[in-house]
Amino acid sequence: MVYLRGFAFLLTVTLLIVPVSFAGNEDRYVAERNAMVSGQIQGGGVSDPRVLQAMRDVPRHLFVPGELRSRAYEPRPLPIGDGQTISQPYIVGFMTEILRLKPSDRVLEVGTGSGYQAAVASKVAGEVYTVEIFETLAGRSAKALSDLGYRNVQVRLGDGYYGWHEKAPFDAIIVTCAGGHIPPPLLRQLKAGGRMIMPVGGPFLTQNLVFLEKGADGSVSQRNVLPVVFVRLLGH
Amino acid sequence: MAPFPSATSFRSSSSGSLGTEKRRRGGVIPAVFLLSAAMLADEIFLIRLLSFRFWPHFVPMIVSQAMLGFGAAGVAMHLFRTRVGKAPRKVFTWLILLAAPSFDLAFRASQKVAFDPFLLLWDPSAWPAFALFFLLLAIPFFLAGGAIAVPFAFRMGSPGPIYAASFAGSAAGAVLALAALSLVPTGSLLRLPVGLGIAAGAFIAWDPVRRPGTARLAVWAASLLLIFAPPDVLRLSPYKDLAMARKLPEARELSSRFGPSGDFRAVKAPGIHSAPGLSFRFDGDIPPQAALFGDGEARGIVPLVEGNSPPAYLDYFPMALAYRLSSRPSVLQFGLRGTEGILAAYGNGAASDTVIEPAKELVTLVTEDLGVLTGGLSAFPGLEIRTEAGRNYLAREKRRFDLIEVPEISSATFSSVGIHATGETFLLTGEGIRSMLSRLSDRGIISFSGWLKSPPRESVKILATLKEEMERIGGPAVKERVIMARGWGSFVILARMIPFDAEEHRRSQRFCDEMGFSVVWPHTGGIGASGPEDDSLRKAVANVLAGSSGDLAGGLFDLSPVTDDSPYFHKFLLISSLPDLRRLLGTQWVPFVEWGVVFLLLSLAISVVLAAVFLLLPLAFARLGENAGGIRFAAYFSALGLAYMLVEMTYLKIGILLFGDPIRAATAAIGGFAFFSGMGSIVSGSFESPRTMGRRICPAIAFLALAGFLSLFFSLKFLLAAGDTARTAIFLAALAPAAVMMGVPFPAAMSRLSSAAPSSIPFAWGINGFFSVAGASLASVGALWMGFCGTVAAGSVFYLLSGALYSAVGKTCGSWDTGAEQGSR
Repeated sequence: MVYLRGFAFLLTVTLLIVPVSFAGNEDRYVAERNAMVSGQIQGGGVSDPRVLQAMRDVPRHLFVPGELRSRAYEPRPLPIGDGQTISQPYIVGFMTEILRLKPSDRVLEVGTGSGYQAAVASKVAGEVYTVEIFETLAGRSAKALSDLGYRNVQVRLGDGYYGWHEKAPFDAIIVTCAGGHIPPPLLRQLKAGGRMIMPVGGPFLTQNLVFLEKGADGSVSQRNVLPVVFVRLLGH
Repeated sequence: MAPFPSATSFRSSSSGSLGTEKRRRGGVIPAVFLLSAAMLADEIFLIRLLSFRFWPHFVPMIVSQAMLGFGAAGVAMHLFRTRVGKAPRKVFTWLILLAAPSFDLAFRASQKVAFDPFLLLWDPSAWPAFALFFLLLAIPFFLAGGAIAVPFAFRMGSPGPIYAASFAGSAAGAVLALAALSLVPTGSLLRLPVGLGIAAGAFIAWDPVRRPGTARLAVWAASLLLIFAPPDVLRLSPYKDLAMARKLPEARELSSRFGPSGDFRAVKAPGIHSAPGLSFRFDGDIPPQAALFGDGEARGIVPLVEGNSPPAYLDYFPMALAYRLSSRPSVLQFGLRGTEGILAAYGNGAASDTVIEPAKELVTLVTEDLGVLTGGLSAFPGLEIRTEAGRNYLAREKRRFDLIEVPEISSATFSSVGIHATGETFLLTGEGIRSMLSRLSDRGIISFSGWLKSPPRESVKILATLKEEMERIGGPAVKERVIMARGWGSFVILARMIPFDAEEHRRSQRFCDEMGFSVVWPHTGGIGASGPEDDSLRKAVANVLAGSSGDLAGGLFDLSPVTDDSPYFHKFLLISSLPDLRRLLGTQWVPFVEWGVVFLLLSLAISVVLAAVFLLLPLAFARLGENAGGIRFAAYFSALGLAYMLVEMTYLKIGILLFGDPIRAATAAIGGFAFFSGMGSIVSGSFESPRTMGRRICPAIAFLALAGFLSLFFSLKFLLAAGDTARTAIFLAALAPAAVMMGVPFPAAMSRLSSAAPSSIPFAWGINGFFSVAGASLASVGALWMGFCGTVAAGSVFYLLSGALYSAVGKTCGSWDTGAEQGSR
């Protein structure tokens, strides 16, 4: 009987403590996320209030492997498996802002990775279609997005090089992995007036980004855009 | 590496008749020979294996590991001398039996450690994993080094023959390792040191007097089983190009080749679409491709096309500009990048194409294994693929070319994070570019292309080097002889000895307009039209071509031209800029430092900490009976450890230029120094007197090390043109005199200690080992910031210092203080 009482007591305490501790974690993550937005994102020059709000809302820590959650809001890329990384928060914010997404926009992302970029884009655009070539990443990101209720994001397993023909054309395209070039099929799936962004660099590093716009006549113009913090480096 | 001392301080307590004793000593010589061979082979194989798993610049770390193992073995041997002395043969036997499987098991265990050099900078929690990784790979050297120390320390035979066996074994190990690299698949290489260790065990484990124990038999048999066990699958860093390609759906390895130059593989997958820098104006389809990898890094692409017709996309890169300015050129290309370079040359009407590729294995893979896919390269008239290093070819060949292409001087792949910052790139030094310019025909063009970085680095550095060399040769203003164009992510620089004319400039502009590229130089418009990234490139280029050389100084990155003395083209990091980088970029500074340099410095820091823990800390618990000479004693062994490594490692580095690849250079340098220093050790007893050591031996080493190195360095022009055998012979002849002498000071000092202060021997081992561990990485640091000649000179200075300190070794403080007793013992 004594044992039974002891067991019941322990069970009750456990049931009370566990949610409290989780709630504590969640509070901590919210605080870290807010600090990330005000420090890294706004501090780095991203100013679109919709993008900032999206990054405050999306729980980045739920898109990184469990053992790295405590570091999710640090200003760095993190490994997510299969040799892929989740970009540093600032780059995600910068790329989302530069695409000038509208609530009605249809967005294609090539290289879903963790799903975090798609989640952020889904907060400011109408529909997000994202393609991932690695099965494990596609499965994991689709589950994370579904569990978190991102109903306007669709994940597809496949070679993003060829885009998503059935859902084309797109108002905006984010290419996170392209073998160092802009895949011609993607340009064909970009709407007239559409925008495309592609970060340039190796693993763990983004040094600049290529931005393309498709004119009404179908002509494509390109410019290299640098995140504000990197521009400081050039002005040195 | 310092050879083992002829310590005479401990006597074997094993007893028995003279005949029995002789029989028991019978296996020692072959065992020492085989184990020495195994250790050297292990060192060379680890260079290859870690190059495949991570990147090619692990040489200093592996040498440090070996030094840590040797040093710790020596310390342990002396700390436990009483116990070991009770049964030296038993300890010797067991150390050999355990060393044999450890060559394989330590590597298997290291693969289980969640260590990736890419994470070191981002994540300090990865440092303990790195330390564990480092320690695991040092274990075989600890066991084998300990085993070899026993017969020396406990007189299990005459020291002379044991020394001979040790250095002959090292030399044999080097030769065997080189042969095995051609014969044994990369993943199975460690079977050779295991096999050599087993053979050593066979000689020693069977005691002629007593039956071998069950435990010995069991360990020996288990090691034997390891030979036949399937090798551990090599776990590549997930960020390496090959690792990524393998994960693609339907990825299939078409073929593989291995050899001293590397491990080369061809992989085909529908998801491979490689065209770094392709113009966005290209709206066709890129054909299916097979990707080539060398030691896991992307090395080229083979487009799978029908026949010999070049795919259209090859015309949509900035580097295609060179063909717009040439007519039926004779082409020289450095590096076989699959077949893209060849297809582009012939697609643009090349009259002939000579491709220089040092890796024979890659050539065989492309021309033979992928022959069906490449559509028959032999059909191209005038195509010649030469398997030799670029600088050797340039030194030997007198032919002139209309177009010399040096592609991909910077890469868009995983190496773009600066892992090659500590890698020697002799083709891109001033001397390398000078020899390329000398091979141009009258209107010939040299073309450099690569991936653009922001702020610009490789593109500006190569331009600065080009300008310096073209001005040295003379002729019209360099700014009139250069055209530079860029795409959204890549660039091409064209240069020649006569100015480009107006029509050629018009053609360049037209090409750029068609492709969506832009002409960076000569710049016709004002700066400020295309955004900060483009502006910064144009400004940097204008500074180099139209400004003074001083304009390169004062920036955040090191963009000054490099020379053969410090051939680190990909090193841009200025330590003095780090505070500015942090101030300007805040937390975003990491992408702008180079992984190679970071790894070198971190491995130095971690190896020093480990060396302190395993070599110096145990000494705190040692019992000392006498004072061996205080701070001067410590300084002597410190200087010796440091000096040896600075000299040996720098010879290895110049060997990379001479032999064309790091593995051959490591084999020749590490094997050569081990062999010749071993010879010196044999005769070290004749040079123990402080007068001889201080006035003759150490100054002679300082002189010979520097003279040998400088004679190699200043005769490079002729040496590079010599044949393989002649180069090897001259390299060994240059290092031999110094290496023989370098084998003297350590054992001579140990011998003095063994008479005067035997209990201080562990300190000597520990301190020498500690500085040898640090010296391996410090030599690379020196080469990066002081140059080769400066590093060897530093080594020479340390030898002079050792000579001045030698008299303190083995002296008590009392006699030291009174200045008495200067003679030899």
